[in-house]
Amino acid sequence: MDLNQLWQLTLSEMEVQLSRASFATWLKNSQLVDKREGIFYIALPNNFAKEWIENKYQKNILGIIRNFDSSARKLEFIVTNQEPKALTRKQVEVDFNKLDTQAGLDLVKIDPDTNLNPRYTLDSFIVGASNELAHAAASAIVHEVGSKYNPFFIYGGVGLGKTHLIQAIGNEIKNYYKGKLRPKYVSSEKFTSDVVWAIRNKRMEDMKKKYRDCDVLIIDDIQFIGGKEKTEEEFFHTFNALYENNKQIIISSDRPPQSIPTLEERLRSRFDGGLTADISYPEYEMRVAIIKNRLQISNRQLPDHVIDLVANSIKRNIRELEGVLNKILFYQEKKGTEIDKKTAQEIIEKSTQSFLGRITDDQILKAVADFYHTEVPNLIGRSRKKEMVEPRQVAMYLLRDILRMSYPYIGEKLGRDHTTVIHSFEKINQEINKNSPFNQKIIMIKESLYNKNQ
Amino acid sequence: MRVVVMRTNLKEGLGAVERAGGENLNLPVLKYANLEALDGKIKLTATNLELAITYYLSGKTIEKGKVNVPIATFASLIGNLQSERINLEKRGGQLEVKTDNYEAFTQTLPAEDFPIIPKVKNEQDFLEIEAGLFKDALAQVLVATQFSDLRPELNSLLLDFSLDALRLVGTDSFRLAEKTLGAAQFNSKYTQSFRVLIPLRTAQELMRILREDGQLRIYHDQNQILFKTDQWEIISRLSEGNFPEYSTIVPKKFTAEAVVKREELMNALKLAGIFSSQTSEVKIKAAQGARALEIYSASRDVGENRYLLPAKIQSEFGEVGFNWRYLFDGLKVLKLEEVWLGVNEEENKPSLIRSPKEASYFYILMPILKT
Repeated sequence: MDLNQLWQLTLSEMEVQLSRASFATWLKNSQLVDKREGIFYIALPNNFAKEWIENKYQKNILGIIRNFDSSARKLEFIVTNQEPKALTRKQVEVDFNKLDTQAGLDLVKIDPDTNLNPRYTLDSFIVGASNELAHAAASAIVHEVGSKYNPFFIYGGVGLGKTHLIQAIGNEIKNYYKGKLRPKYVSSEKFTSDVVWAIRNKRMEDMKKKYRDCDVLIIDDIQFIGGKEKTEEEFFHTFNALYENNKQIIISSDRPPQSIPTLEERLRSRFDGGLTADISYPEYEMRVAIIKNRLQISNRQLPDHVIDLVANSIKRNIRELEGVLNKILFYQEKKGTEIDKKTAQEIIEKSTQSFLGRITDDQILKAVADFYHTEVPNLIGRSRKKEMVEPRQVAMYLLRDILRMSYPYIGEKLGRDHTTVIHSFEKINQEINKNSPFNQKIIMIKESLYNKNQ
Repeated sequence: MRVVVMRTNLKEGLGAVERAGGENLNLPVLKYANLEALDGKIKLTATNLELAITYYLSGKTIEKGKVNVPIATFASLIGNLQSERINLEKRGGQLEVKTDNYEAFTQTLPAEDFPIIPKVKNEQDFLEIEAGLFKDALAQVLVATQFSDLRPELNSLLLDFSLDALRLVGTDSFRLAEKTLGAAQFNSKYTQSFRVLIPLRTAQELMRILREDGQLRIYHDQNQILFKTDQWEIISRLSEGNFPEYSTIVPKKFTAEAVVKREELMNALKLAGIFSSQTSEVKIKAAQGARALEIYSASRDVGENRYLLPAKIQSEFGEVGFNWRYLFDGLKVLKLEEVWLGVNEEENKPSLIRSPKEASYFYILMPILKT
């Protein structure tokens, strides 16, 4: 019998002896943490509980434990920290809204000179087939800053590790050259706001100096500067100044340069000049590796079938994968027992659905129609023109993928047989995995959906 | 149990312990205070199992004993009595409250049900400090805190003792205040430095109960802290977690430095506050060739206003927006005629308030983001 079971049994006997109020107050959050040489160590949430139990229940508890384990000689009570209260999603949202405009102090340990978060390193980046190239290029850049792959452009979907990789390059460079080379990391949003600030305060020179005075410039989520002419122009000049001086430039985006519609041609061609690497969806083995790695770091365990379940349910976003993993671990810790498959399934479903709950089938049709510059009736209509085939199949795919609608229902919706729907779904699914530009299209449609729903 | 006690004494004692009593649905006894008649004094205790306050008041004990009295009922009863002398006597399961012309019986709970108040393990080592001094220091850092469910690790004050200095720090992630007390301002029996986190609730209770006179002693062990004066004791759990490393965010360079009259600036902020929008934003910049601060606020619904405040400013600076309440808070606790302002114009850089002469206290705050 392990300590946990032993303690559960002890607690159920104590529960009978005590009033409900006393049990809930004093014993509910207790735990049997260790036994050594007949001494049983019991963890309690606070000193009040410790005093009370030591004085009032010690004998009873020892008696009960002895019934199960005759080696028990003595009890020791220790006070351990309590978990912070978990918050509901709603509370958090309310709080965030309130703080919209007020800037916060930077209390996370971010290096103020480089803006890099030391948490991201190349070592902790898990490599698989989907990000091999990007990772290899990143390692090469650290050793040959500015000369080998310049600029380095990296793209991939949300939550696949772009930020991790580019920040890791910065951190590695900082450590490898021991401060001789100065990396600088900015989000494109920060870059934009700096440009705005400089214009407003007529301090363009300061701004230019600030960005041209570094050896490695890392810009995250470059797609957001598209369409902001002055920022683009300023970035263009900064880019040229750095490039001419053989300074390394590293850029990330959620899509390849050709697919950022608002980006000016001259910038696009420059991005294409260096190395472009993509990070695509992690395959199953890699997802499992990521989960195992996280478990190891936090020194916790999960049964294999739960790992398998998580890896199989969340395929397209590592951040989401980690989020769900954290929830499961949190739940397991709260409960104190190993999580079973059914509960894990519930947690996964809850966390993946809450985000999609507000999207309707009509919105998907509309988004697809908009993307292909056509009208919803054309999608549903009988036309067998070639131009309508792809949009229609994409619509079927998304209805199935996002809303989990049944094939017959989708068929009915689009005036097709359910076998046609199955065929379309499978075809698109294959395309996504082997055809990267096509995958970009799907991502863009999905994004337009999610953005509308925020 | 039977005692005679003066109304004012009892009222003060109840006032001190009252807020420690907790709303605990599981354990009704937490809504009660423990009243114990000792030789020549009466001990009142209340707790919510996170902290416990014990208060000693003078009274005449005729028969020793203890009983649990319901805090809310008892406090309003005593508060409304007119007579000075009050007789308290335990009769069966009730407590008789009696004056010359009044008599009441309140329900009680058995004294054994009251939680046992823990003690700190180490009673040898302590810090001793003037109560009034510590109270002011607390007020100066508490002002930068507020309860947040988002960042539970910030729901506490840092007490950082490094043998030659005692530091108190509070932050709510929008502002941060640090107060340093020098070695001359306290006595210490400690031979080692330590850092502990005092829960905000405890710090607030402590601040409420502290008087200007007398000495305060601070004891602690691994997970508890005890504040003790001749008249009362507060014992509390310590918060777990790590207080953020804040030294890197304290600004050292500023766009501009200014010295202004504190009361005038506070007044200007109050005025500007009337016209600030929902974000409480007021904008501050150098005006009249750096001889004045301009305080400006506007809201679409209410209107706009502008206040010019003479100041010694060392260089021009452009508009910076602040939540006027946050700025006001920092000024409110600096009991000086003039204050020193270090303004950082750049977004995401905090500004700083301190005394023009010394740096034992500073308050930094973040601007409002420009949109």
